[in-house]
Amino acid sequence: MADTLHNLYIGFSVALAPQVLLYAFVGCVVGTLVGVLPGIGPLAGISLLLPASFGLDATSAIVLLAGIYYGAMYGGSTTSILMRIPGEAASVMTCIDGYEMTRKGRAGPALAIAAIGSYIAGTVSVVGLMLLAPPLASFALRFGPPEYFALLLLGLLVLAYMSGGSMLKSLAMAALGLLLGMIGIDPMTGFFRFSYGLVELGDGIGVVPVAVGLFGLSEILLTAGQPTAPEVKKPKLKDLLPSRQEWRDSLWPIGRGTVLGFLIGIIPGSAHIISSFVSYAVERRLAKDPERFGHGAIEGVAGPESANNSATSGAFVPMLALGIPSGPIPAVMIAAMMVHGISPGPLLITQQPELFWGFIASMYVGNVVLLILNLPLVGIFVNVLRVPYPLLYPAILLFCVLGVYAVNGSAVDVGIMAAMGALGYLLRKFDFETAPVVLGLILAPMIEMSLRQSLAMSSGNYAIFVNRPIASVMLLIGLALLLLSLMPFLMKSIDWRQRLGISTANEGEKL
Amino acid sequence: MRLNRRNNIFLVLLILLLPAIKVSGQEKYPDRPITIVVPFPPGGVADLTARPVAAALEKVLKNPVVVVNKTGAAGAVGMSFVANSKPDGYNLLMALSSISIIPEADKLFDRKPAYTMDQLIPIALISADPTIFVVNASRPWKSVKEFVDDAKKRPGEISYSSSGVYGTLHMAMEMLIQGAGIQLKHVPYSGGGPALTALLGGHVDTLASGPAVVIPHIKAGKLRPLASWGAKRVASLPDVATFKELGYDIEFYIWAGLFAPRGTSPAVMKTIREAVKQAVNSVEFKTAMEKIETPIAYLDAPEFQKFWDKDAKMLADAIKRIGKIEIPEAK
Amino acid sequence: MTTDRLSAGVLALFALFVMWESRQLPLGTFRHPGPAYVPVLLASLLLLFAIFILFTASRAPKLSSLQWTEWRHALAIFACSVFSVFAIERLGYRLTMLLMLAFLVKLVEKRGWILSLIFSFSLSWGSYFLFYTLLRVPLPQGPLGF
Repeated sequence: MADTLHNLYIGFSVALAPQVLLYAFVGCVVGTLVGVLPGIGPLAGISLLLPASFGLDATSAIVLLAGIYYGAMYGGSTTSILMRIPGEAASVMTCIDGYEMTRKGRAGPALAIAAIGSYIAGTVSVVGLMLLAPPLASFALRFGPPEYFALLLLGLLVLAYMSGGSMLKSLAMAALGLLLGMIGIDPMTGFFRFSYGLVELGDGIGVVPVAVGLFGLSEILLTAGQPTAPEVKKPKLKDLLPSRQEWRDSLWPIGRGTVLGFLIGIIPGSAHIISSFVSYAVERRLAKDPERFGHGAIEGVAGPESANNSATSGAFVPMLALGIPSGPIPAVMIAAMMVHGISPGPLLITQQPELFWGFIASMYVGNVVLLILNLPLVGIFVNVLRVPYPLLYPAILLFCVLGVYAVNGSAVDVGIMAAMGALGYLLRKFDFETAPVVLGLILAPMIEMSLRQSLAMSSGNYAIFVNRPIASVMLLIGLALLLLSLMPFLMKSIDWRQRLGISTANEGEKL
Repeated sequence: MRLNRRNNIFLVLLILLLPAIKVSGQEKYPDRPITIVVPFPPGGVADLTARPVAAALEKVLKNPVVVVNKTGAAGAVGMSFVANSKPDGYNLLMALSSISIIPEADKLFDRKPAYTMDQLIPIALISADPTIFVVNASRPWKSVKEFVDDAKKRPGEISYSSSGVYGTLHMAMEMLIQGAGIQLKHVPYSGGGPALTALLGGHVDTLASGPAVVIPHIKAGKLRPLASWGAKRVASLPDVATFKELGYDIEFYIWAGLFAPRGTSPAVMKTIREAVKQAVNSVEFKTAMEKIETPIAYLDAPEFQKFWDKDAKMLADAIKRIGKIEIPEAK
Repeated sequence: MTTDRLSAGVLALFALFVMWESRQLPLGTFRHPGPAYVPVLLASLLLLFAIFILFTASRAPKLSSLQWTEWRHALAIFACSVFSVFAIERLGYRLTMLLMLAFLVKLVEKRGWILSLIFSFSLSWGSYFLFYTLLRVPLPQGPLGF
């Protein structure tokens, strides 16, 4: 413990050096800007500033890039809450209840809780990173294709708990999303699937255009022509802060979101995107009155936002502890380190303590900076809503196009966004949920790939899922949850049969 | 002229069109920023090689050179973008050896190719990473001989990961498989990073990888290198023999080179080639490449063309041999 | 005709379409799934769900009860999005956005010329400056230089 404190002292002395602090600040600001813009998310932001970071020394460069990642996570919730446009894929869940809160005039508290939840989650998860990095990383390394498959199946089950309306319709939407995820090159055999000659579809439909289209674009399609402009209550100062009840309600979701997000974030791969989905489902399941979800429940903002931010720290665990590129963003960070002559590997922590501890300390600092940045901005952002809607929505459209285009420099992405916008418009008109589509889209390629990889590893033997401890445990949990959720149906159907028995008897009498 | 509405509109249009009126005369190349398109995500080999090149070129040409990532379809998106763009010398491509693979794979599947190799002309080869054959340290094989013997005893049981079917890492292993006459189990992943992670976690036994990413793990004792696919031993791994030394006639490099669309004028090509030659020899470039542990292997266009042709033929043969991945028929 | 009947029908048709399109890809077996295996599986699930929805579809609101009052604006916005797909790389970012915004504010929302032009110009050029010049996000320039 004393060792850790000593190292932390070194770390802080590095992180609080004026130059490093400056770059942390710059990173946070840029990240917030990038996150607020719909579509373009942390990966794009980091890639953009990667070249600029080459000229800096190693610690400043890493701190800059990490700040962007963090800032984007904070900023992404802003447009989600205010305009129902996801700032990046991970903020999709925040759109649902966050926007409903805005409609009720509670935009300020939603933004504030998002920022504070993010801060708490971010700080606590950095502590976790600091203390537990090596053992956690070794655990994470044991996740192979069978474990991924089991985990992602569990994630799919989460869908059952995500829906407000008809479960059947949500399942259909999930199937639709999963199917959309099948577009692209089949990674196991090299066949092009459903890409109709468009090279750009080779990697499939991106999550970003779909999320922005299904949520953001569909929102303005539905609202722009309404005879009465969406009502925006003028925020009073006390309306900007969460009420005591809202504080109380958010506490546990923040806690759970933090733990959940961190654990999911550790797992190598892009699984950390689903942390906000899982958190939403957990909160919904555990709430005493789940019908509030989808209509402005603060838990639906606090949980996912916290999960988001702690997944960010979790994603760094394998990268720092073992030098594994555990996802696209850590891969870019590793590249940035390599450019500065630092080879990330298992010995990074011991060989480069200033970098590691400076990085950790800068994450603490970054969280504080972002909290200070975002809280006063809440008042400013809420006032953006007061721009007359006929002028606001063209601006929103501009930023959606800009954000989606900027991710890959691809006009095809913008086309996908447009198509998804139209789809989202129709889906909402016909009373379907759009969130399961996004989740399905994210999960499909990963689930299919891990299934087929597992079968490749075992040469076709399905027993591989049962023979590996982690995978079998997760599958059992999934099975248990599935049975639990089916219980109400099972009980109801017994009821029906009894009722049916009575009516048949009656009819028999009639005849 | 009266300032009425119609005339206003004409004025506005005129002002908008002014920039289009170019003063005619000799346009010296380059007079606008040059773009180097990297068809892979940032942080990868192509990206890390392109950026020092861009920086050094900028100094030599005294003209901005920008790196743009155009990702997708294992590089096909970016490559076809440059192949189909105007050959004016402002859109260049930094491609890896997979440039020769993608059109072949397309042929295999009877697909209209996203681009063909004759749509591009080589400018220069920048780097050529020999691939290294690594195994998870917990596995028993300490030499290639032990490995091959074991593989012959249990065909199809020892596994290897790769960055994707028909990817560069797959191709390298394929050559070993052919050269040694063994059968291995292939577990494809999406990208070099996940493939490496799988090896580190022990979910697969072996991997063919570029040196830069595996050397830290070799030093930490988590991975064991058995051989390399280069003609000479890798500088940072002097104890690791090459396959050629061990008697297998196989060579494989993950190389990165600069290309331009066919039709670029000879004058422009000459300027670029000269500039690249100077850039590659500059001190900053050398230090940058050292930092990312990528050896410089510069070849000017004519030699690069020969190298590329030879490499492409080797890869085409390998792809034809692999054929389509066998999918069992449902009975 | 209720809303659910129509939507379930469309979903079922889509599922069948996917299965049809997958016929060119090898199916593989249960132990060695091919590229078509999972898509066909998912499409079958979707079909199943759609059929189940049809069972309860009579309880849904009638199709004629749906309100489409906003369709004109929705169509205009959608048309603008499609326009931007084709124009953004041919005309350049700023010009495309200028035209798009001016169209929406002047013609759809029927505001004045001056407001429309100032709003459109400042947003197009301003966002370009912020993201291209300052943040180095690659945004295309058109033939006229913007």
